[in-house]
Amino acid sequence: MSGLPQPVATDATAPLRVAIIGNPNTGKTTLFNALTGLRQRVGNFAGVTVERVEGSFSMPDGRRVTVLDLPGSYSLSAASPDERIALETLLGRDDAHWRPDVVLVVVDAVHLDRNLFLASQICELGLPVVIALNQFDAAESEGISIDVPTLIYETGVPIVPTVAKRGEGIEPLKQALLIASTLPAPTRKFLLPPDVEAVLAPLQGELERGGINYAAAQMEALRLLSVRHDEPHLAHIAGLPAKLAQVRSALDALGVAAERLEAELRYTWIGGVLARSMSRRGPSGGSRTDRVDAVVLHRVGGPLLFLAVMAVVFQAVFSWAAPLQDGIESLVLALGAAVGGLLPEGDVQSLVVDGVFAGVGSVVVFLPQIGILFAFLSILEQSGYMARAAFLMDRIMRRVGLHGKSFIPMLSGYACAVPGIMATRTIDDPKDRLATIMVVPLMSCSARLPVYTLLIGTFIPALPLVPGLDLRGATMLAMYVLGTVTALGIAALFRRTLLKGPVRPMILELPPYRRPGLRSTLVSVWQRCAIFLRRAGTVILAISIVLWALATYPRADVDATLPEVAQQEQQLAQSVLGRFGHAIEPLVAPLGYDWKIGVSIVASFAAREVFVSTMGTIYGVGGEDDAALSERLLAQTRPDGSAVYTPLIAVGLMVFYVYALMCISTVAVTIREAGGGRLGWKWAGVQFGYMLALAYVGAGLTLVIGRALGFR
Amino acid sequence: MHSAPRELPVCTCPLVDTEAGSASTVVAIACGDSDACRLRALGVYEGATVSVINKRHCLLVDVRGTRLALDTALATGITVQPQARPSA
Repeated sequence: MSGLPQPVATDATAPLRVAIIGNPNTGKTTLFNALTGLRQRVGNFAGVTVERVEGSFSMPDGRRVTVLDLPGSYSLSAASPDERIALETLLGRDDAHWRPDVVLVVVDAVHLDRNLFLASQICELGLPVVIALNQFDAAESEGISIDVPTLIYETGVPIVPTVAKRGEGIEPLKQALLIASTLPAPTRKFLLPPDVEAVLAPLQGELERGGINYAAAQMEALRLLSVRHDEPHLAHIAGLPAKLAQVRSALDALGVAAERLEAELRYTWIGGVLARSMSRRGPSGGSRTDRVDAVVLHRVGGPLLFLAVMAVVFQAVFSWAAPLQDGIESLVLALGAAVGGLLPEGDVQSLVVDGVFAGVGSVVVFLPQIGILFAFLSILEQSGYMARAAFLMDRIMRRVGLHGKSFIPMLSGYACAVPGIMATRTIDDPKDRLATIMVVPLMSCSARLPVYTLLIGTFIPALPLVPGLDLRGATMLAMYVLGTVTALGIAALFRRTLLKGPVRPMILELPPYRRPGLRSTLVSVWQRCAIFLRRAGTVILAISIVLWALATYPRADVDATLPEVAQQEQQLAQSVLGRFGHAIEPLVAPLGYDWKIGVSIVASFAAREVFVSTMGTIYGVGGEDDAALSERLLAQTRPDGSAVYTPLIAVGLMVFYVYALMCISTVAVTIREAGGGRLGWKWAGVQFGYMLALAYVGAGLTLVIGRALGFR
Repeated sequence: MHSAPRELPVCTCPLVDTEAGSASTVVAIACGDSDACRLRALGVYEGATVSVINKRHCLLVDVRGTRLALDTALATGITVQPQARPSA
């Protein structure tokens, strides 16, 4: 099991497996995109919310190369879930048992000393390594000159200078990967003091007996001295904790501080290597970044600038997307009508037009919002501003137990929860990420607007309150505030209960400002849109068809002499969905609703805005004719002559819609982003359940409090 | 839990107490283990030079060209020896 570094697969027909790893902000993902183009598969590492992106390319000789993009890591210390995944994958001990043939370490040429820490760990895994010296141009323009041959000599691995953003050095890098796969794995380039070496030997032996190769056992022995958390990938080695304790006390007796031994050894080695291979002309860089930071992080100016940036992003997602969405919607509807025209009238036509096309339409209308948001997020991330935004918001978000990076997903939630939830993957801590996913849909999204608009326009008088704000505007504002305050409160609750865990102190790298690359932005937008279409699209389409069937069957005896909308009303009332609405009337009665509201709520479980069109159908005004619908709603009376709808009931209904998660797109995205599979379904269930409970209790309380205050 | 450094130089203080604009040498890191690990991987290790750029609700520091934002609580656990200012 042990012994020398294992030989590498030299089968020339099998695809070469390359794992790509690097510090955050090194351009690792840009390099990955440059290597693989759009041939990427996005998934999750088994059982965790860490994204797994795999891509591939072909060598000129036809050999396939598959590339796995490992999460950005500062070290292999497994201090975060991302780093643990990276380490386990590199040791071939992850759930998928995917082991790379070659490891590609992406190193930022500007911050070589810090980046070589990870590289020196990787070089001891017993795997062939290639180093990409990325952002080589930025290093040159900062007056850093790197003697690459000397660096190759010192590290013992092939090194290729690259500028991933412009695609420079990619072809030589591909060649280097292929060549490296035939070379022996590098070994540790520094020696331990003999007494320390002797103390560590039994620990290395224990690791080797546990199936870790000789080189990796050396790395692990040193690494384990500096960490004190559970290591699932080493849990099978029973004797390890005892050996580790022995080694720690033996080192203590030698006067060596165990936990800092690795850092001291590696940085000392790095210092020597760089003294021989790197020189710096002029003052160290960062002065431009400092000048920009003086404004961006200014105590007063910083938050103001942040607000302005967020206003632009929010406005773009909220309103620039609208014409695109309208265009897509009418295109899909027109296509549906055209296809429907080719089919004979009947159930099949209805299935295609009202089920498939309407369902697909309700999915693809989200694409412009997703695309625009991710274009902005990608630009902000690449430019270096995102880290500053997280820094500025950290103080506020920390109060509810979240991270500064939770702010942007929550803000995006005002436009649409779907891209908001997808944006949570910039959050490193899995508990922070889940807590944020859980509360993003509480932010009032644009799909709630039609509901608010109908109910406020019909039932709330336009009483002027202060100049520029009347009661209608104030009610709308109240709904947004209600959602936001509740989101913060619920997040705090989650972080103290289901997602309890220490709030990790902030250690945030503020990368130098850089010009964003168009290609990376487009790849990011494409990737997010593709994920949404593929994953969410299938679920949404299936549920749309089910809902269509529930609203269509069983076929009712409709009075054919009635106008068409009245026929639709009869059909809906007698369908499964309609009967369900009747059945749940006792449930919604405490909220002051009749069965018609019940049906509309049930019908809008897939998408909130369906509430308005269902009400239109039920009240026989068809389509989305708000004015006619308003009149009908105001005229509705109960058998005892009292009005069905009062302003109080309307407010209660709005509160219900503030809280209820009535959007299958969001549910589908939560399933995926919360880890997929059973884990994803579990969290999506928790989310749907708590929001429904909140909606019911909220609407009920509104009614009780309103009546106590004398409203009807 | 943490083995205390054996001999602390006389003139040391927590990083959080150093002035903005000053440079100092890290002497000891007494934070949670995974935080200490992360700090060392980011270049804040015993012996490294750290300059404080700005102090506010947290610390903005420079470690060999890398800008880091550190919690005040974290910066309290980092013991440093302030370096003499180069005379202007």
